[in-house]
Amino acid sequence: MTNSSIALVVDDSRVNRLVLVRQLATLGLEAMEAENGIEALDLMRAHPGVFDVVLLDVLMPGLDGYDTLEAMKADDAIRHVPVLIVSGVEELDSVVRCIELGATDYLMKPINHRILQARISASLAAKRLRDLELEYLEQQRTLTETIERQKTELSRFISPQISALISSAEGERMLSGHRRQITVAFCDLRGFTTFAEQADPEELLGVLGEYHRMIGEAIVAHGGTLEHFAGDGVMVFFNDPIPQDDHVERAVRMAVEMRDRFAALAASWRKRGYELGFGVGIAVGYATLGRIGFEGRYDYGAIGNVVILASRLSSQASADQILLSQRAAGMVEEIVDVESVGELQIKGLSRPVSASNVLVLR
Amino acid sequence: MVDERVLEELHASVEGDTGFVRDLIDAYLVDSAEQLEAIEAALRAEDAEALVRPAHTLKSSSATVGAMDVSALARTLEVAGRSGSLGDLEARRAAEALPGVMDTTEPALRAWIAGAEGR
Repeated sequence: MTNSSIALVVDDSRVNRLVLVRQLATLGLEAMEAENGIEALDLMRAHPGVFDVVLLDVLMPGLDGYDTLEAMKADDAIRHVPVLIVSGVEELDSVVRCIELGATDYLMKPINHRILQARISASLAAKRLRDLELEYLEQQRTLTETIERQKTELSRFISPQISALISSAEGERMLSGHRRQITVAFCDLRGFTTFAEQADPEELLGVLGEYHRMIGEAIVAHGGTLEHFAGDGVMVFFNDPIPQDDHVERAVRMAVEMRDRFAALAASWRKRGYELGFGVGIAVGYATLGRIGFEGRYDYGAIGNVVILASRLSSQASADQILLSQRAAGMVEEIVDVESVGELQIKGLSRPVSASNVLVLR
Repeated sequence: MVDERVLEELHASVEGDTGFVRDLIDAYLVDSAEQLEAIEAALRAEDAEALVRPAHTLKSSSATVGAMDVSALARTLEVAGRSGSLGDLEARRAAEALPGVMDTTEPALRAWIAGAEGR
């Protein structure tokens, strides 16, 4: 029993209070006294969390034991304090009623010291357990809040799919590396280097901001995973970390939406004297995906020929072209009209690859 | 008059602190005198409600210090007060007997203390 435990003794008889307080002192408890229920409730409400146990007489003038118990149970700040009913022999019925009202246990007058000790020990143990539980719940709540805040913050810096992946149960397995078929889309601007050399910094960032906003909205709308931004270049992949059966179709639809929306942006830039074009390369194939980088700066990335191919197709695309690898084109032939652009020599690949430009969605 | 077993148990429950029991009995005698006055006033005024509180407290305190006869009389008065039957024969007899029983209880309590202090 800890010396810091504090009891509240509620009894209309001063003699009874004196005895109980003295008996509690032999058990190492400090005690405060109240003459009736009103005084007791006032004390508990004025010092919430202070009392570890209440010894409550049933029949008291003023507010009696029943009403006091009911008031305690209705008050969140004090409802969990254990209550021991102190009762005379002829009041057994009232004890039953008190237990029903939420009292922890009862003590029969005259109070047997060993029973008092046992009941107090049990009540304090229950109270400590309850306090620990509350403390634990509070810690849990703070932790959850922190994690939620971090997730929100994280999703501003990296793709929402990847921030969700990091917080998920299978996150570690996915991050440590896996192979999967994905569709990769690279997009960048034609004429951006010249524009970047000529434009004011404010103008440059303004144009880039409008472009990125449009790109970002389209990526989200089609469920793409943004791998990275590099100036005007953007790499997006599909079918990872969230599987998407229609990953090639999604990439093509996204690219077409970007191209359409880019046309409106380009028209307004043209009025300001900037000539910018938009090109996309899309390829499908197997890649290794996972955590790439070094301690201190990791990205979730994809490695494989498919990434290189999409990137090279994007470099080869002229303004307004969406170039599909042969395989990608074959997988979406039912939803788009394409035109062949022949065989392209791709740096790093030994054989030329045939590619098609997306004309229109059917 | 006084149940010595109750006093012995009480004494033991406060780790044999005879000084505490003596002070407690002093407090009891002061409080019970006040309660007797309140009881008599309520009876004179035939105010049943005003009788309940002092009778209840006296019953309870008396039982704590082993003054069982006082406790029993106070209980009769408390019950009469609650039921509003102050005129009942039993209640009137209890009211009449109470001061005398209290007068003889006091020396019995003091005698027990003297005995305990001598041990």
